Amino acid sequence: MIAILYERIFVDPWPFWAGGIIIGLLVPLLYYFYNTALGVSTGYGNLVKIFLPARHLQWIKTKYSETWSWRVYFIGGIILGGFISSALSGNLGFTAEMGRFTALVGWGAFAGAVYFFTGGLLLGLGARIAGGCTSGHSIHGISNLHLSSILATIMFLIGGIISANLIRITLMGGAW
Amino acid sequence: MNKKLGFLGFGTLFGFTLSRVGASDFDLIMGMFVGRDYTLVGVIGLAIIVGAIGMQLLKRSQRPVKNGEPLKISEKKLGPWSLLGAGLFGIGWGLSGACPGTVLAQLGEGKIFGFFTFFGMIFGTYIYARLKEKHPSL
Repeated sequence: MIAILYERIFVDPWPFWAGGIIIGLLVPLLYYFYNTALGVSTGYGNLVKIFLPARHLQWIKTKYSETWSWRVYFIGGIILGGFISSALSGNLGFTAEMGRFTALVGWGAFAGAVYFFTGGLLLGLGARIAGGCTSGHSIHGISNLHLSSILATIMFLIGGIISANLIRITLMGGAW
Repeated sequence: MNKKLGFLGFGTLFGFTLSRVGASDFDLIMGMFVGRDYTLVGVIGLAIIVGAIGMQLLKRSQRPVKNGEPLKISEKKLGPWSLLGAGLFGIGWGLSGACPGTVLAQLGEGKIFGFFTFFGMIFGTYIYARLKEKHPSL
């Protein structure tokens, strides 16, 4: 009985509804406890301040006066959560595997690294210009029925549909 | 409860959930955008519905939130370039198979390519900070 329960929670992938409910509850819970909006990407500004010589930049100075703010702890927690998930499911350790990318795109490690770095660069730059990401705009913003977040999410989806289909057709041979 | 410790805890729950439901899986994000796997459409869609119901209950209770302050919902305003930025974000989402939250779960799971997405995100944010010096409307 306990073994089956462990298996369901820590080993098997969860059904979509379990994830949807928990992630959705974070929005009102973070307001209830901290009067704070759910959001991840803003915290990357803290990481810029920590890792890169950017303290002289006005935007960093004004928006990130507290370097080690709650946002850094939230980011640390998400990393820790992924680690716990991996460890308890018995998949602890580093892997160069990345799903269909490593299975279908015959690129070496260097080209792959450049590819993912480029994707990340667009995510970081785009999130700041858009004012938020999947959590801040799509989940928090639409939950609060903000038109700006609905429009931003439509653009997120259009961008993703274009690039993912281009990659599927050009680099993955159209396969799925 | 100390806010930083609280966010460490909620972050851990968030990262654990993203990982368990497969949001940190490259194939599930690719699959969503090419119309082959709708798991994440279900996750995001249900999260929005649950979040919206929760927020309505919180607003209607008309109680101050826990620390005594009145509820203050932050709305993101769109600037002149915001939707273009959202398009760039979307392209990055489709390429990397990750978003700013799920890439962090990938780090915890030990996915090496996720580290490059992560460093790219920090660098992209840095480029924004540099651009913002000269173009305040960004």
